[in-house]
Amino acid sequence: MSTASDTTTVALIGVGGQGILLAASILAEAASAEGLEVKASEVHGMAQRGGSVLSTVRFGAKVFSPVFRHPDYVLATELLEGFRGLDMLREGGTLVCAATTRILPGSVLRREEPYPEDLAAAAEVRGVRLLAVDAEGLAREAGTVRAVNVALMGATSTVMPFAAESWQRGLERAVPAKILAVNEKAFVLGRDSVVTPA
Amino acid sequence: MDTTLFLMGNEAIAYGAARAGAGFACAYPGTPSTEIIETAAGLGGIHAEWCVNEKVALETAVGCSRAGVRTLVAMKHVGLNVAADPLLTLTETGVNGGLVIVSSDDPGMNSSQNEQDSRHYARFAKIPMLEPSDSQEAYDFVAEAFALSEEFDTPVLLRSSTKLSHGRGQVVQRERIEPERIDYVKDITKHLMVPQWARLRTRFIIERLERLRERAEESSLNALIEGAADFGIISSGVVHQYAREAFPEAWHLKLGLSYPLPYHKIAELYERVPKVFVVEELDPFIEDHVRMLGLPVIGKEAIPADGELEPDVVFAALQPYLDAEPPQRRSPLFPPAPRLSDPAPESELPVRPPVLCPGCRHRSVFTALRRHKLAAMGDIGCYMLGADPPLNALDSSLCMGASIGMMAGFNQALGRKAAAAVIGDSTFFHSGITALISASYNEADGLVMILDNRTTAMTGHQGHPGSGVRPDLTEGPAVTIQELCDGIHVRCTTIDAKDYEAIVDAIKTEVATPGLGVIVAEAPCALLVREKNGTVLVDDERCNLCGLCLAIGCPAIAPQADTVSITDACTGCGLCVEVCKRGALTLSLGEEAS
Repeated sequence: MSTASDTTTVALIGVGGQGILLAASILAEAASAEGLEVKASEVHGMAQRGGSVLSTVRFGAKVFSPVFRHPDYVLATELLEGFRGLDMLREGGTLVCAATTRILPGSVLRREEPYPEDLAAAAEVRGVRLLAVDAEGLAREAGTVRAVNVALMGATSTVMPFAAESWQRGLERAVPAKILAVNEKAFVLGRDSVVTPA
Repeated sequence: MDTTLFLMGNEAIAYGAARAGAGFACAYPGTPSTEIIETAAGLGGIHAEWCVNEKVALETAVGCSRAGVRTLVAMKHVGLNVAADPLLTLTETGVNGGLVIVSSDDPGMNSSQNEQDSRHYARFAKIPMLEPSDSQEAYDFVAEAFALSEEFDTPVLLRSSTKLSHGRGQVVQRERIEPERIDYVKDITKHLMVPQWARLRTRFIIERLERLRERAEESSLNALIEGAADFGIISSGVVHQYAREAFPEAWHLKLGLSYPLPYHKIAELYERVPKVFVVEELDPFIEDHVRMLGLPVIGKEAIPADGELEPDVVFAALQPYLDAEPPQRRSPLFPPAPRLSDPAPESELPVRPPVLCPGCRHRSVFTALRRHKLAAMGDIGCYMLGADPPLNALDSSLCMGASIGMMAGFNQALGRKAAAAVIGDSTFFHSGITALISASYNEADGLVMILDNRTTAMTGHQGHPGSGVRPDLTEGPAVTIQELCDGIHVRCTTIDAKDYEAIVDAIKTEVATPGLGVIVAEAPCALLVREKNGTVLVDDERCNLCGLCLAIGCPAIAPQADTVSITDACTGCGLCVEVCKRGALTLSLGEEAS
């Protein structure tokens, strides 16, 4: 079964504590501001304890299922999770990855297995469009390293057909007022870091 | 010497358990099941206990089974609802020593609030069910149930009902069986049901059910009894005796191993007679399966779906159908074996399991507990993460609150302090309290570690009776575990989980002291505190990469070529400094990491 023609599936993956659910909310609110139907699904429970976290957002004129196995886009807030995203993406899909962020899982820390290295090569082998972003650097520049998720969302905005106002509305509705300014800055830095939208 | 006894069904079950070599039997009393444990308590070789409820009873039984002892647990039908939580995961873990669950239904509500049909639990839990029809079978089937339990690695439901439990009949005693004591072997892939392992066990139980179905086809417990009439009756339990008496000339398919159902034996009856009835009390359990095979059957349109049956009720109910034209015959449609989900594709990427947080001081408890050779019965919540490498500090996890009952049963079966329970404060309030009261009342041996972070951390820091915090963030009275233990006569020590040496000493003392003891280790959830106390510095000259600090499972410590390094995630809790024996690690207080 292929994707319904007008439904877009975005999977957001990362490590517990990286703000995957917040990023998913921004995207869902932005899509909603575009007048689209939105459905989302998230896995709770172990989210704050350093495990892999997955959230799915689907939008379009009419959306049936909240989940779909092979997404059109994967947004990964960490490099190893970006590799994991390659396994999920549909053929010809797009991976937006915080490629300079590395959070080593226990087995790697204990040197039981290696951390994967060349994401660009792996993406090419699979025929996947890759947007590698230094989201961590941009977040730090914006004022907090915790904004990796939002900087990545800024970069993602260049490959999604949403108006700038919709993204702004998404940020305002999803991000707590107290940390909105720094996240707006991270978003803009992320967006402007993509020179040639693919 | 005539060894024939005249026994109530419940007494026969207890005698049957003794004959089958059961070492432990427990229950919460409930009509019509109560006499099973009362009788067992008077028989040599069986240790009998009342537990505070059926959930704790089943968990205690699981502990005994794990320790390798044949165990029987009894309850009335509504008690099985209380025990459903451990049951539905016990079906995944399976057993070690045979485990038989007796549930006694009460059709007609002689002494109950409802008349539920417990047979559905056999299907629900995908476990085999035996239904004896008189006292002799009640006695004999217990040994059959234990043998099935051990052969198929499954709990077995022995279903009774009021008229079997409280009916009497002659019982010829058989030679006593001396089962081999099965050693306990730690195996978290079988005993610790986190999603990763439970998924594998789910596949196991689906396949196990298909193998049990083959056994039901061959088993002599399921007998096709030849008749002279042109109709047949399918029945099970005491109801079979009613049907047999009402229609001695009929063909009878008597189901003793009544779940999973023997489809081919049912089909065989249809080859012999043009008309088939199902006679059963309460729900159309057998009937639904027969209809699923596409076979015409007369069941609940004739037989009352409520209340108890009797031979004359059965006789009168079927009379109008005997001369009627038989329903049209069709060949059975056997359902295919169920398909299992496709296994996840192999990935070479490192997995990223959740871990105990850096700075979580409850890590100390696992580090200290590991020094002792105790089977650690874990529970649901964050602390299950202590099972993962490199801590490897837990043996099992079954359901909310199960750790304490399992510990009590395990130690009872082995006759020494061989197991500890590890449970969080919120889970303790959920359903650990009842098990602790049960353990106190039964003078169980054991050590209960309550890891108290004063919140329900795993689900996102909700309040509970220990914190007093309610959903609207108002505060009610807070229950103190120390005072609670004092009130139920359980020795309790409350210590600061940040004091590693105190934990080590408290555990050492408890392990050496006979009887039941609780240690409450208090420290707030690291995710709530989020304080950076400092960081740890490594003296590369002194560090020889011995691995002691790595073994505490802190995600902030990483081994390098011949030393360790500390990552930004370090909160400066200092546990690694305390376990280091070479003085290679020092705590640098107040340092802010970038």
